[in-house]
Formats: sequence, structure tokens, C-alpha cells
Amino acid sequence: MLNKQHPVRKTAIIVISLLAAITVLPWAIGMDREQTPAFGQAESLDAWQKISTVLQHPRCINCHQANVPLQGDMQRIHVPLVVRGPDNRGVSAMRCANCHNAIGNNPTSGTPGAPHWQLAPISMLWQELSTGQLCRMLKNPQLNGNRTPQALISHMDKDLLVLWGWNPGKGREPVPVPHKEFVDQMKVWVAGGTACPE
Amino acid sequence: MITLNVNGKSHQLDVSPQMPLLWALRDKLNLTGTKFGCGRALCGACTVHIDGQAARSCSIMVGQAAGKKITTIEGVSGRVADAVTKAWQRLDVVQCGYCQSGQIMSAITILSENKKPTDADIDLGMEGNICRCATYVRIRAAIHEAAKTLT
Repeated sequence: MLNKQHPVRKTAIIVISLLAAITVLPWAIGMDREQTPAFGQAESLDAWQKISTVLQHPRCINCHQANVPLQGDMQRIHVPLVVRGPDNRGVSAMRCANCHNAIGNNPTSGTPGAPHWQLAPISMLWQELSTGQLCRMLKNPQLNGNRTPQALISHMDKDLLVLWGWNPGKGREPVPVPHKEFVDQMKVWVAGGTACPE
Repeated sequence: MITLNVNGKSHQLDVSPQMPLLWALRDKLNLTGTKFGCGRALCGACTVHIDGQAARSCSIMVGQAAGKKITTIEGVSGRVADAVTKAWQRLDVVQCGYCQSGQIMSAITILSENKKPTDADIDLGMEGNICRCATYVRIRAAIHEAAKTLT
């Protein structure tokens, strides 16, 4: 009678034992939950295909232009006309920050805004590139602002002007992949060797 | 409360940081020389200076302008501003006048940076200021005229 366990108590012991086994098992067989899984070229290429849908979206391409930014989902020439200028931020009375607020989108005028609003540097012209060309340009330190693959991940993860692409304000379509998923794909692309299609 | 420094005076305003600066200038501070045109940073009628740089006050928000030196058409002064306003009068640039305070603010910015602008420099710098009376030829001539007195 004393040794006989109550059915509820018995069930609880079984459940706790199972949970403990599930928790301990990965370490018992040598898996580290913090360890990044190994990715190869195939996974890297798959990741790049998702990444390229973001980088070739109007929210990114519109300001990766030679001398004049494009505007809106229809990608028309910026109205009023503005040009790159020596610091990528316009000229004289027509500088980017004259209208674009560093503190964010203006809900009244509809003008989009984020810190360091500017054209991308002249080495980063993405218009009309194939995804393979874009991929090779992005990972080339001579063209990408001297960034390592890890620095590219950080740039896509934290740069406030990059992040604007996920919060572009009313009337503009955000980039097509959620930000966390996009950064995860960047990590897979890098872990698999920054593979590029032909 | 947001503190705005306008034409050398400090003002405490109980407004949203997202309020367009133009609303604050015209409706809170009664500085009506700066005009409302399109409200979307497309016409330039609302141009003021923020730290000396031309800015569209319908688009720049109060929270962005706080702590900076804001100058409106009522407060412009100095050698370049004098040269521009005198040239504007000499050439009788203004027709209906609605856009002209914005035109003058942009012209001052151009000449503050470039004392001898070419036609192309002027056209690029004034691109964001529209005049429905089409006084563009006189505006450009007045900027050249002002430049002569500055060199």
C-alpha cells in the first residue's frame, strides 16, 4: 500500500522524466543548441535567391542609382529633380535632408525619412544587374564599402536607412521578406560561402 | 514641450514632434511670410533655412528642427540676403508673389555656397521651387545679378 503510487503522481514522474530526457539528449549526443548548423553552397544559393528579391525591390534599387534617385513603387525619376552631388546627398538648395527627416516618415506630407538619407555610393549601382552580378558586387570589398561578410550581415541587420525598407510609410510597398527572415538568410548565405549564381 | 529657435528667438511649443514645421511657423508663431503650397515638398513655397540650408517646412517635422537655427523670410539678413532681395526688386521679379519667399530662400542658399553660379547650377538648385506665373527667367537673371554684387 505504501509502495503503490497514486496514478496522477505516476503520470507526473513519467512526464518530467521525458522532458528531462528531451532537454539533455542533444548534449548527450554532442549537439550544441548554440552551434550554427553547417550550410553548404546549395543552401547559400537558396538563401541568395531570397535575399535578391529584397535587394532588387524598389525600396532598395531606387537609391542605388547613378546620379538621380527613382521614386515610388512605379520607379519614376525623383520629382523634383535631385542629383547625387559630391557627398551623395544632393547639391546646394536641393539636398536630401531638405525634405527627408532623419527622425522618420512624415505622416502629413507623406515624405519618407530615415537617418543619413542619401544615394548609395557610386560603387554600388544595382540597376539592371542580374542576381549573379548583384551577388558578386555585394561581396566584393572594393565595391561594397570595404565590408566583410559579417559586416554585410550587420549592415542589413542594423543600419537605420536599410531598416526603413521594412517601414516605408503609407503608399509605398515594403520589401517582400520579413526582416528577421532576411537577416537569417544573410547568415545562411555567408555561412555557406556567399555563393552566387552565374 | 518642444523648443524652436526661429529668427534668433527661442519659442516653447506644446505640439507633436511630427507636426510639420510650417504649421508651427504659421499657426503657432504667426510667421505667415512662409507659404503653404502643396504640402508635399513638391513646390518649394514653404522653403525656410535650417542651420543655413534651404528646407521644405511642410515636410520637415518640428521634432527634426528642434535645437537647430531656423530662419524664415521675415528673419533673413546678411550680405547675401541683401544682394538677393535688392536684385529681386531691381529686376521686378515678382508677379503674383505667392512662391517668392520660397524662391528667395533657395536663392540665398545657392549664393551662400557658390558666389558665381552658372545657369546649370541655378537650375539644379532652384529645381524644387515652382512658379505658376513662370517668372523663372527673371529669377535666374536676379540670381546672376545678385552674384555680381557679391564678387
